[in-house]
Amino acid sequence: MTTTEPDVILRLSNVVKDFPGVRALDGVELEVRAGEVHCLLGQNGAGKSTLIKVLAGVHKADAGTVEWLGEPVSFANPQAAMKAGIATIYQELDLVDDMSVAENVFLGHEPRKFGFVLPGQAARNTTTILRRLGHAEVPPRRLVRALPNAGKQLVSMARALSHEAKLIIMDEPSAVLAHDEVANLFRIIRDLTAQGIAVVYISHRLEEIREIGDRVTVLRDGQTSAVNLPARTTPTRDLVSRMTGRNIEYVFPPRPETERGELLLEVENLSRDNEFHDVSLKVHGGEIVGIAGLVGSGRSELLETIFGARRADSGSITMSGKPLRGSVATAVRAGLGMAPEERKSQALLLGEPVYRNMTLTTFSRIARFGFTDADREQRESMAVADQLELRPRDVRRSVSTLSGGNQQKVVVGRWLLGGTKLLILDEPTRGVDIGARAELYQVIRQLTAQGVGVLLVSSEVPEVLGLADRVLVMREGRVVRQADAGQLTEDDVLDLVMAGSLDTSGEEAA
Amino acid sequence: MATRRNMLLGGAVLGALAAAGCTSNETPSGNAQTKGPDAGNPNAAPGKKITIGFSAPAADHGWIAAITNNAKAQAATYSDVTFKQVEAGKDAAAQRAVLETLIAEKPDVIVLLPHDGKELNAFGLKAMNAGIPVVNLDRAFPDALAYRCQIKGDNYGMGVAAGHYIGKALKAKNIASPIIGEIAGMDELELTQERSQGFKAALATYGFTVANRRAARFTADTGQKEAQNLLQALPKMDALWNHDDDQGIGVLAAINAASRNEFLMVGGAGSKKAIEDIAGDKSVLKATVTYSPSMASSAISLARLIGQNKGMADLVELQVPKEVILASETITKENAQTYLKLGF
Amino acid sequence: MTALTTTGWWRDESREPLRRNLGLIGVLVALFGIGAIIRPDLYGDPQWVVDNTLVILQQAAAIGVVTVGMTFVIIGGGIDLSVGALIALAGVWSTTVATQSFGAGGMIFTAIIVGVLAGLVNGVLIAYGRLVPFIATLAMLVAARGLAAQISGKQTQVSNDQFINGLASSKVLGIPSLVLVLLAVAGLGWVLLNRTTFGRRTVAIGGNQEAARLAGINVRRHTMLLYALSGLCCGIAAIMLTSLATSSQAAAAELYELDAIAAAIIGGTLLSGGRGTVTGSLIGVVVFATITNLFAIANLPTEVQNMVKGGIIVFAVLVQQLKFKSVKQLLTRT
Repeated sequence: MTTTEPDVILRLSNVVKDFPGVRALDGVELEVRAGEVHCLLGQNGAGKSTLIKVLAGVHKADAGTVEWLGEPVSFANPQAAMKAGIATIYQELDLVDDMSVAENVFLGHEPRKFGFVLPGQAARNTTTILRRLGHAEVPPRRLVRALPNAGKQLVSMARALSHEAKLIIMDEPSAVLAHDEVANLFRIIRDLTAQGIAVVYISHRLEEIREIGDRVTVLRDGQTSAVNLPARTTPTRDLVSRMTGRNIEYVFPPRPETERGELLLEVENLSRDNEFHDVSLKVHGGEIVGIAGLVGSGRSELLETIFGARRADSGSITMSGKPLRGSVATAVRAGLGMAPEERKSQALLLGEPVYRNMTLTTFSRIARFGFTDADREQRESMAVADQLELRPRDVRRSVSTLSGGNQQKVVVGRWLLGGTKLLILDEPTRGVDIGARAELYQVIRQLTAQGVGVLLVSSEVPEVLGLADRVLVMREGRVVRQADAGQLTEDDVLDLVMAGSLDTSGEEAA
Repeated sequence: MATRRNMLLGGAVLGALAAAGCTSNETPSGNAQTKGPDAGNPNAAPGKKITIGFSAPAADHGWIAAITNNAKAQAATYSDVTFKQVEAGKDAAAQRAVLETLIAEKPDVIVLLPHDGKELNAFGLKAMNAGIPVVNLDRAFPDALAYRCQIKGDNYGMGVAAGHYIGKALKAKNIASPIIGEIAGMDELELTQERSQGFKAALATYGFTVANRRAARFTADTGQKEAQNLLQALPKMDALWNHDDDQGIGVLAAINAASRNEFLMVGGAGSKKAIEDIAGDKSVLKATVTYSPSMASSAISLARLIGQNKGMADLVELQVPKEVILASETITKENAQTYLKLGF
Repeated sequence: MTALTTTGWWRDESREPLRRNLGLIGVLVALFGIGAIIRPDLYGDPQWVVDNTLVILQQAAAIGVVTVGMTFVIIGGGIDLSVGALIALAGVWSTTVATQSFGAGGMIFTAIIVGVLAGLVNGVLIAYGRLVPFIATLAMLVAARGLAAQISGKQTQVSNDQFINGLASSKVLGIPSLVLVLLAVAGLGWVLLNRTTFGRRTVAIGGNQEAARLAGINVRRHTMLLYALSGLCCGIAAIMLTSLATSSQAAAAELYELDAIAAAIIGGTLLSGGRGTVTGSLIGVVVFATITNLFAIANLPTEVQNMVKGGIIVFAVLVQQLKFKSVKQLLTRT
């Protein structure tokens, strides 16, 4: 350890990570000291998850250096990172539900003698570790399945300690916890740091960062917009602007001064247990209604329910005056279309050419007597590809070879072909690079010019504000604000979606 | 050679059933293999009135059906025998249960085709200890104390019979180095291996060998497939032995479809359809070697003699022998009419 | 491995099926070569070679028809373990004394209806009963064999119908009728898969069920129809097998499910669904039939033949994986 700061255990400089079509990390800096809680702040898509995965050995950096304990490293796989002392606790805990606590803690490095595992010793060691975490009461032989989320998190941490971890990365650990459990989590984190273990803590909730954090690094668009800010004293306004201020301005098409069309979608008092409550909204032809909210605010669930992919517990959905009854097929027939959040797993047939992806909802209509008409499909797809400026302009190409933005155009194009009257877009620009975003915005605006209504969800606040005519802000399953886009600023919205943080910090509220 | 028992131990129940080679669309009622009283035989005269208890697995298959049918019919030919049949159910456990009640009724002799010789060995011992002699039919008990008499078929002998028939026929035609094909049954079964060994040994006495051997699965469709390939491999053939008349339906279908008739074919088991074909002499099938369910009729006769404490009249001994292994018989056009009633 | 970026038809993703089919044809040529070395006397006779080729194709006929149905089911993201049992059931049902009294038409009708209905039961259990295809069709396998044994009394049922019995040995323009049936079924299957909405839905559901559902495709109904289609193929195959063996029995078509799945897989059908070709499956079936034939010609025992078959399946799947990754990656992956 010959670096300038004697207690710096991890130092990242100028780390770059490219994915096809997107630069996820673009020169990231990070410095973590032993025994500190270092918070990582950033909007969705800012590159936090990619950064975690680089540290955990899932991805390899394309450029830049990662120094661990003073030595430059490049982990070949997660096991190597684990062995070096970096443990990661993912949001969706990677535990084996049907194995015991002790088996999970020592998974992959079970105490052994002559090739036989020693369950007794594993259980004893587990209890020792759990005592270190202040939870000796958890029975090491209990099945993980039987534990609550907080307990599972504890097991993940115990696993990290079983590897003698010097750095534990926690990805939104509070997201799955109840309020009182968070307090307990913080107590455990303080115990860990007191033992000299560093924690990289990722959260959307400013209030938590204030309470547990020592220093903050802010990510924005794959770059570090601020490093090593003091977690308790940096003003909220400062943090928020560093999260949102951007180098490249989004180019949003101007809002046309046209009358909005007839009422298309009307949702009244829609609820689904533990997902969203009492949501009402209206979408007219020719307008874009945006929903802003963080992951977990219930927005994606709301969209899927409107589209018939989930069944509502109460409330009603009507389309052009006719009630929709929870099935995708009826929704599609009524003129709804959806570009889901997970493009690859929910929308695309990756092994198939572009045109077949574009005609996925329309090939039956184009077909004659059950025989598909590939020529006509290609012609119509080509027309849409021209309209959307698809690149490359080859509809016979496999869709898997396209960039994220162009794949998204294919999904949107699918509904254009179908003559859809109301299009639901869930995170349409996720994984799409800046240039392609502007085109997508243009495409969406063109749709409304044709009388289509759009219901848009994005966790990127400027996108919602810049694109939508009207904005709904959702937090914890409820619509907390509804207004015309022009009446809200980005900070207003961020304040609303992160509400609570502002109260404790005593900063001004809009 | 406890062949049938071993087959079952091998778990190949289906194979066991098919091995018996049943080939018929109807149950063979009114077609039983019996032997009425013979005036010249001192044992023919009615003797002490006895009760024979009988148990065989439920008749879910032609060969077993023929066994039960034969036993019943043979008993009916004796005025001094009361035939008491108990349903054996579908597995060894069920059979054991009904046999318990049979012992309680104290028959003079029990004739038993067990689901599994090993599993019902204990029952054999128990009945013998209770003073009831047991005649084991085809599936042997491992323990010699568990039965008084055993009668069963002979797989090795089947092969030998087929080999001799083919050997003699080809010698008669003066063929010096004939091409001989063989279509066996399920190759993983011991009985199939025994049949093939017998066949090979018998052919060797004539200086002949098997040119190509295929193994089918005791089903007509596999018989057809293997035969079709065999015919391709041997564009000219002198003789063919097919282990099982059941798969033989498929074998003959393949032969007919290929319009081949330059060779002679021998079957196995002795199904009614095969015997009819042989009698009609319209196909290449000239003979079949038996593994006959007629053993059930003989088992009843032996049981009667045991029950009446008599010996077999032609033998010197005063008692029935401990073990009878049927010779595999060869059915040809000449004797087919005689055997037709034994076909199943 | 920068060579991966070079272009050429062998690198072109969309040519993958063609590439694989050429590979399989290479295997066929190699098998022919082995045969010619072992038995030059037979392979030197052109007439024999033609006859033998027709024999191989005829042996591929029934299993080939089943494999076409299986290919659809697997492309649609499922699996059908019940095909062998359904053939036995349809075969036995169509050769009962009562059915035979209706003549060839009645027998064919019965076999097809039995196959389709049993397939529909599979489909309903899987699509609407939410059973895993493996479990549902495994249960059908056991039950259908049981029912077949019940109906036949575990006896071989001889067909007395002249038309049915004569079908297998009849030829049209020198080609066995059953081979023509296979070609017809495969041709229809090709059109169905590549030129109709039914085929498009099959690929969509198998490729990405969620995407298909969110695109408004009735995934459940289509899944059900896929199993009915497989059942239909079983009914047709049952008639073909009855014709070949001039009889039916409960134990017929043993392990056809494994042969059909194996043929589809070496033919390039992705077991996880979404990709596959009828042509590839067909060539896969012919490869297996050729191996069986070659082993008979060479007078090698069945057990060796099964080992070779197993080896070929493993080899084909390994090649399938190699397509995407370089050899180097594969070796360093441990």
